[in-house]
Amino acid sequence: MDTPSRHADDRKTAVVAQRMKKPFLSRKTRHLAFVWMLLLPALLVYFAYRAVPLAWNVVLSFSFWAPGKPIRFAGLYQYQELAFYDGIFWEVLKNTAIFMLVIPISIMLALALALLVDQKITGRNIYRTIIFLPYPMMVVAVGIVWRWLYNDNVGLINYALRSMGLISRPIAFLESYDFALAAVIAAAVWQILGFFMIIILTGLQNIPPHLYEAARIDGARAHHRFWRITLPLLRPSLFLCVILGVIASFTSFDLIYTMTNGGPGHATDLLITYIYKAAFTLSRFDYAAAMTVVMFVLFLALALLTNRLAGGDAGKVDISD
Amino acid sequence: MATVEFSSLVKKYGPLEVVHSIDLAIRDGEFVVLVGPSGCGKSTCLRMLAGLEEISGGKILIDGQIVNEIEPRDRNIAMVFQDYALYPHMSVYENMAFSLQYRGFNKKEIKTRVAAAATTLGLTDLLDRRPKQLSGGQRQRVAMGRAIVRDPQVFLFDEPLSNLDAKLRGSMRIEIKKLHRRLGVTTVYVTHDQVEAMTLADRVVVMNNGRIEQVGTPEQVYHHPETLFVASFIGSPTMNLVPAEHDGTLLRLNDGSVLIRQPENKAAQPGAKMFGVRPEDVTVAEGPPPEGHSEVEVVVDVIEALGADTLVFATVAGSPFAARVPPATRLQPGASARLRFPNDKTHLFDADTGKALA
Repeated sequence: MDTPSRHADDRKTAVVAQRMKKPFLSRKTRHLAFVWMLLLPALLVYFAYRAVPLAWNVVLSFSFWAPGKPIRFAGLYQYQELAFYDGIFWEVLKNTAIFMLVIPISIMLALALALLVDQKITGRNIYRTIIFLPYPMMVVAVGIVWRWLYNDNVGLINYALRSMGLISRPIAFLESYDFALAAVIAAAVWQILGFFMIIILTGLQNIPPHLYEAARIDGARAHHRFWRITLPLLRPSLFLCVILGVIASFTSFDLIYTMTNGGPGHATDLLITYIYKAAFTLSRFDYAAAMTVVMFVLFLALALLTNRLAGGDAGKVDISD
Repeated sequence: MATVEFSSLVKKYGPLEVVHSIDLAIRDGEFVVLVGPSGCGKSTCLRMLAGLEEISGGKILIDGQIVNEIEPRDRNIAMVFQDYALYPHMSVYENMAFSLQYRGFNKKEIKTRVAAAATTLGLTDLLDRRPKQLSGGQRQRVAMGRAIVRDPQVFLFDEPLSNLDAKLRGSMRIEIKKLHRRLGVTTVYVTHDQVEAMTLADRVVVMNNGRIEQVGTPEQVYHHPETLFVASFIGSPTMNLVPAEHDGTLLRLNDGSVLIRQPENKAAQPGAKMFGVRPEDVTVAEGPPPEGHSEVEVVVDVIEALGADTLVFATVAGSPFAARVPPATRLQPGASARLRFPNDKTHLFDADTGKALA
């Protein structure tokens, strides 16, 4: 072997030996460091905008505090007030519960529509788009549109009802204690219906057609197939709708705000709008914080209950056998 | 049990006709396999028989009764699907009991029948499981259990083994055959796998382009293919098919240089032919050809040793030519060789019509 090539070989051996040398950090540690490095930005945002405000909110709910004043420990004072001395709190809680009717109503309608547009009918994509269209619309816009539709002087609904002879005098839906909440619920159903329909439609299309064929041969009629094949296999989709509906019920601030601002009186106030008013109209941030904690606990309980009822698979679309 | 009859059966999708006036009579208790390449119309025929597809023309009769307008549930048939079509949210027991619940059986009868079917198929320990907790073979057996539990007149199988691996396919084939022997139910089985067709069928129906090419026992379709398509579809490796010209007395290959003696009693009319011989009937020539044998000069391309025997893939007059020979062959790729075959094992087809020449 000549000298230059031997030197080259030596250099290669040295490089390999260098690479083979044990690094400062173990492979596992380096991997973990890399993972944390990637997670860090998201975690920072999460803590800054979620965890810290939530914790601050809990602290605030056990305190007396107003902007510009020192914070003082209040124990359960805020909770006692909302439980025993604030009748409106219970009214808005009842309203929130009633507002949740949006969930079953829109799921049933969405299921019916999804079954319809899942058929081989001409223009089904157009129907699907039309039904879905309200969902991506800005909620504030939806609220304003419906406010006009309900208007007692120029509203289309009053006009239609009068034209059909169903009413003799216009109804001020959004100013009426009897109709306001129902009117808002109708608008909310209209807005979320398309979204639920798409979720259910996806679920329907994930059911293998062979199951229906097998069931037909097995002797199941259309209604048997619906109850025994379609509905059980749609369970994950339906429960996903329930969970999303619960979230929407607790957070439908913009729709209420634009349509009625909680009125007349507190007839359409939901927990979320009442919390807003307590904090930003009455400047009672501590009391609003206590109500927020209650809302958080209620929401968490409902979401967990729904997921439990769904067998832990709400939203799961894989129904492969 | 029942007979099944297709009479001038037609299926159209819009203007497109996919099944062209098929006639077929299936005997009581017979195991008939519809075999053919993808898109040949075999599954469509089965689905029309099941009632899952509308019939565009002709008639289907089950046990002498026209069933064109009868709902699938009222045809007293059971079907096993390619993907099993087990209800994923139900246990094995519920899957098997499903059809009985709609046929007026009480709970006790259902339990007895499901238990009997489960015993037959070795599913007794799996009755509480969901389909996704089962292996492919077990799911297949559940699908069969769901079919036999009802004691139907006709069993329909739509490529039931195609999702299984090769080993399991082999064992399930045997199970299906045993089941048919035991129950004796008329069975119509669709597959694109000619091995399944040959091993399972009492009679094979070879289909192509929406038409029946040949109906016969596995031996008939293998040894006496009536068309070029059947000759090329049945058998593995497929039959050697070489273009040839018949001049009245001699059969010449296309390059003119190689001569095959005229197969006996065949090809009365001169013209373009397709000459065929199965690889199994071809041997490596040694010494002068005995009486009634012919030989061809080939160039060996590839040799595949399968253990039990060896496949020789060669070229003759520009056409591929295969031979299945004993394992200890002395042939080498790239070398020339003489291959021999008995004249009475050769086939001749009209090159234009594709029909076999007697």
